[in-house]
Amino acid sequence: MPRQLLDHYPQTSSRYDELLAGPMALRPHWRSVFDTLARSRPEQMAERLASVHRQIRENGVTYNVYADPQGVERPWELDVLPLIIPPDEWQQISTAIAQRAELLNRILLDVYGPQHMLEEGLLPPALIYGHAGFLRPCHGMAVPGNMHLHLYAADLARAPDGRWWVLADRTQAPSGAGYSLENRLVISRVFAEQFRDLRVEHLASFFATLRDTLIQNAPQGDGPPLIVLLTPGPYNETYFEHAYLARYLGFPLVEGSDLMVRDGRVWLKNLSGLRRVHVILRRLDDDFCDPLELRADSALGVPGLVDAARQGNVLIANALGSNLLESGALLGFLPRLCERLLGEPLAMPSLATWWCGEEAALEDAIDKLDNLVIKPAFPQLRIDSVFGQDLDRKSRAALIARMRARPHHYVAQELVPLSQAPVWDTQHPRRLAARAVGLRVFACASPDGYVVMPGGLTRVASERAARVIAMQRGGSSKDTWVMTHGAVNTFSLLRRSITPSELVRSGSKLSSRVVENLFWFGRYCERCDNVARLLRATISQHIEHGDIAEHALIRLCQRFRLLPEELDDVPTGDIETALRAATTDPALAQSLAANLQQLSAVSFNLRERLSIDNWRIISHLADGPGDAPAELGEVLESLDECVQAMMTLSGFALDGMTRDQGWRFLSVGRRIERLQFMSSVLQHALDEGGETPEWLLDLADSTITYRSRYMTRPQWLPVLDLLVADESNPRSVAYQALGLADYLARLAAQFGAIESAPLSDAVADLLSLRAERDFRPGATALTETLDSLHSAAYALSEQLGLRFFSHADTQWPTSPQV
Amino acid sequence: MARIRYDVLHETRYLYAQPVSLSRQLLHLTPRETPRQSTVAHRIDIEPAPAERAGRDDYFGNRIEQFAVSAAHDELTVIAHSTVDVVRQDLLDTPSSPAWEHVRDRLRQVGPAPLLEPGQYLYASPHVEPLRALARYARLDFHRDRPLFESAQALMRRIHRDFEFDPEATTVSTPLETLLKERRGVCQDFAHFMIGCLRSLGLPARYVSGYLLTRPPPGKPRLVGADASHAWVSMFCPGAGWVDFDPTNCVRPDDQHITVGWGRDFGDVTPMRGVILGGGEHTVEVSVTVTPEGESAAQPLETE
Repeated sequence: MPRQLLDHYPQTSSRYDELLAGPMALRPHWRSVFDTLARSRPEQMAERLASVHRQIRENGVTYNVYADPQGVERPWELDVLPLIIPPDEWQQISTAIAQRAELLNRILLDVYGPQHMLEEGLLPPALIYGHAGFLRPCHGMAVPGNMHLHLYAADLARAPDGRWWVLADRTQAPSGAGYSLENRLVISRVFAEQFRDLRVEHLASFFATLRDTLIQNAPQGDGPPLIVLLTPGPYNETYFEHAYLARYLGFPLVEGSDLMVRDGRVWLKNLSGLRRVHVILRRLDDDFCDPLELRADSALGVPGLVDAARQGNVLIANALGSNLLESGALLGFLPRLCERLLGEPLAMPSLATWWCGEEAALEDAIDKLDNLVIKPAFPQLRIDSVFGQDLDRKSRAALIARMRARPHHYVAQELVPLSQAPVWDTQHPRRLAARAVGLRVFACASPDGYVVMPGGLTRVASERAARVIAMQRGGSSKDTWVMTHGAVNTFSLLRRSITPSELVRSGSKLSSRVVENLFWFGRYCERCDNVARLLRATISQHIEHGDIAEHALIRLCQRFRLLPEELDDVPTGDIETALRAATTDPALAQSLAANLQQLSAVSFNLRERLSIDNWRIISHLADGPGDAPAELGEVLESLDECVQAMMTLSGFALDGMTRDQGWRFLSVGRRIERLQFMSSVLQHALDEGGETPEWLLDLADSTITYRSRYMTRPQWLPVLDLLVADESNPRSVAYQALGLADYLARLAAQFGAIESAPLSDAVADLLSLRAERDFRPGATALTETLDSLHSAAYALSEQLGLRFFSHADTQWPTSPQV
Repeated sequence: MARIRYDVLHETRYLYAQPVSLSRQLLHLTPRETPRQSTVAHRIDIEPAPAERAGRDDYFGNRIEQFAVSAAHDELTVIAHSTVDVVRQDLLDTPSSPAWEHVRDRLRQVGPAPLLEPGQYLYASPHVEPLRALARYARLDFHRDRPLFESAQALMRRIHRDFEFDPEATTVSTPLETLLKERRGVCQDFAHFMIGCLRSLGLPARYVSGYLLTRPPPGKPRLVGADASHAWVSMFCPGAGWVDFDPTNCVRPDDQHITVGWGRDFGDVTPMRGVILGGGEHTVEVSVTVTPEGESAAQPLETE
């Protein structure tokens, strides 16, 4: 049986093999997982793969690819098999990485301080003074706790002799720790028993250490320390991770425009004003962080941030300027620096790397191009790595010309064959394939030195590119299992005990940007629900009664621009096509599909605030019914599903969200939308006149209530009473209008008066309606009231936008020419 | 030694089409103290009055004034008044200096201070990319074993001859490649160009921001760039220290040049740099007046 698994697995290789020590000779630490695979029935494995796939999709794990024409988001790729590392081997890695983090921090302290290493000739000035990442405004700034580097990552590769080497250091804002965590949650569920039996180290205490260190070093004052996670925004390649980590660590996720500097301190703009920010865990590149002192063209930063840090009023992790050490050109100098600064030899070697800015190195690199990778010298340069051996004569000459023109832009790095690890071959069940892997490991600062995360992000090269591992280029990933001899620390961040003083009641950390998105989330949920109900009613009518071109519902659909204007005389088949399009064609501006996409986009901006259940529903809906259904019956089914999903989302909001200001804005959004819809629908029904239509009750989801009250066919008087005036009916116009007035009063109590005269006037009109006089078609008072309610809802939406959302005024850098 | 006292008035006025709700600015408007220049009086007036204001030294040792105006405004005026004493130095026509390659090679092994400091100005900076093409341009004057000063002076002369002063030709972000092709620009461009030439040869060069005497002494031509901030170049040579060159006017700056500060390029010493919230379209007016105080002790200016 095991044989079958290895039938197509290379038994000998010039690379190090993580699984096999020789032909058919399993390394002992793989035995347990391998046996499980061998014992598993095909259905079991299929179920595991499906589970991985499902969890990734439902959790919305994505990786954005900048140049992807398919759209910016791509599902995260995760192999079902972990990379397993035995305890002794891990011990070595862990010690070496902690040492390296310590060393790099010491180098940063020196470079941004006294620069002794330059004076002593241990660091070539060219690599500091010539480095675009050496941020002069940050020189001489004291960093809290002498800590420049709070979170550090190293990219490792294993050479054929089994030794680990460092390929690159990530010192700016290392990505991947969050993906590691997500990978762990998925894979530990799929192989729960093996995970436990192998005594795999847990990851949570690493993140707790990170958080505790940040809190410990936070500046004092203005309440308990507030830590925010600063992201460049949803279009960043690792935005998922920013949102994920923010939620996991309990930090608000903010963009530059959410923050401002005043009196030398950093503040989070939220509804109730400003809240002091003590710590910024940044995922924004350091030169983009402050357009005033750093890159003037950055629209993502916070003007004045450098000075706030200079004054010691905010802790920025990692410190601004730490990007400097991501330059591969420094690798060769680390051994001597380690001896000098730590008094011990560097524990893990780095791949030999030369900076072409030195003339001798440039000529050498050109001579040996076939055995080298040419890489950008500084991460700021958007240059792709190139393997010398891949180049034909022409492109080789072109590269050499580029290198000679700007030698300081390039480093040359030795090639090392990456080790290979087994992956599950999804094309051929019951087969293992071998793929090149690299390991990204993480360290974070703690009062007792650097702590290394027991695990990491194993990155898997795609089949063809066995030498480069880049998620940008379609690579995959693996969970990384670090085994321990001792007991597993089962600490979980999610179960931390809270002391009474830490109790938080209000959502005062809400930023204006989040509130705006919640408002539109509410509106789009409601709009999708309305559109789905209208289409469902229309299509049902069509299916039951055939030709409905003249029907009031068709005209109502036209009123909402779901159907084209000139539909009156078209053949039945065309109406069906048009109704299908109104449901499934996202290119039609008002279609259900278009509105679902809007909902999904707004939710995308709110991802860190919506529970996974919400996200599951939305991502399921946004995926659509797949191939556009041919039968109207199927369209109807998908509409049923949509209405149900909207009910569920609404239930989550009602039952699952605390009543903070964010919730209030979501609800205001909902009610504004419903008020507009209901007043339009009622207006339409009254305009049509004639018999009281059944569909009116149906669209208002009030059929059951009506029947239980009246047990008769719909009649205008009771129907209008129920849908207009009945304050207890959550679908009635009165319910929306009075609810809105109430929310506005609450907002006004906290934020000061809000202009709402049109609404109060309309409510007054509404309350003065009299059933016996006004609840019939043709009653002017009723149509006028519905009209003014509709425009009041519109005005209110504008008003709220101006008052609470439009804070993201554009910032302009200015500097006159000499 | 002759000493001249100057009054400098540097006025910047922004007019915005729409109100600005928040403005943060960094000013490099305070003249530096140097061995041959001292500040007698200095004051910066800002209108409207800033809510926050502080001064400090930047990385290069220049004085920075930073401020924030948080009241809505549609006009911002910054006026720097300085009274500065400048000492005339003895400029040798062609000071004796070592061969330029010798200087380059010594700086390659930058080690302990004071050679570390010039090492700051050897490399690429945001506005100055030391392209190979610049080295080729410069090599026409940097012959084998030619003394450094003589070579630099010849380079300055050639830049002055090859380039035309044209305020319309360039912006702050025009790259040196374009400049090399078009050969038109303003003092800032010529300074960047000459710095690029020197750095491309492995010689340290920095950007000096400052002022020129507005009205020349009797019988002397008015220098170009006198009605705004001016910019020139400083080159380092071991032993002699930093020596200034003004390629715009083809002179070695002396007592008609007043130094405000220096850095790797314009970006490090921009007179006024900021970020505003709102404002819409804006216009800016800058004016500089430099007048000698008291008796006109102006000495003849050395010209090439």
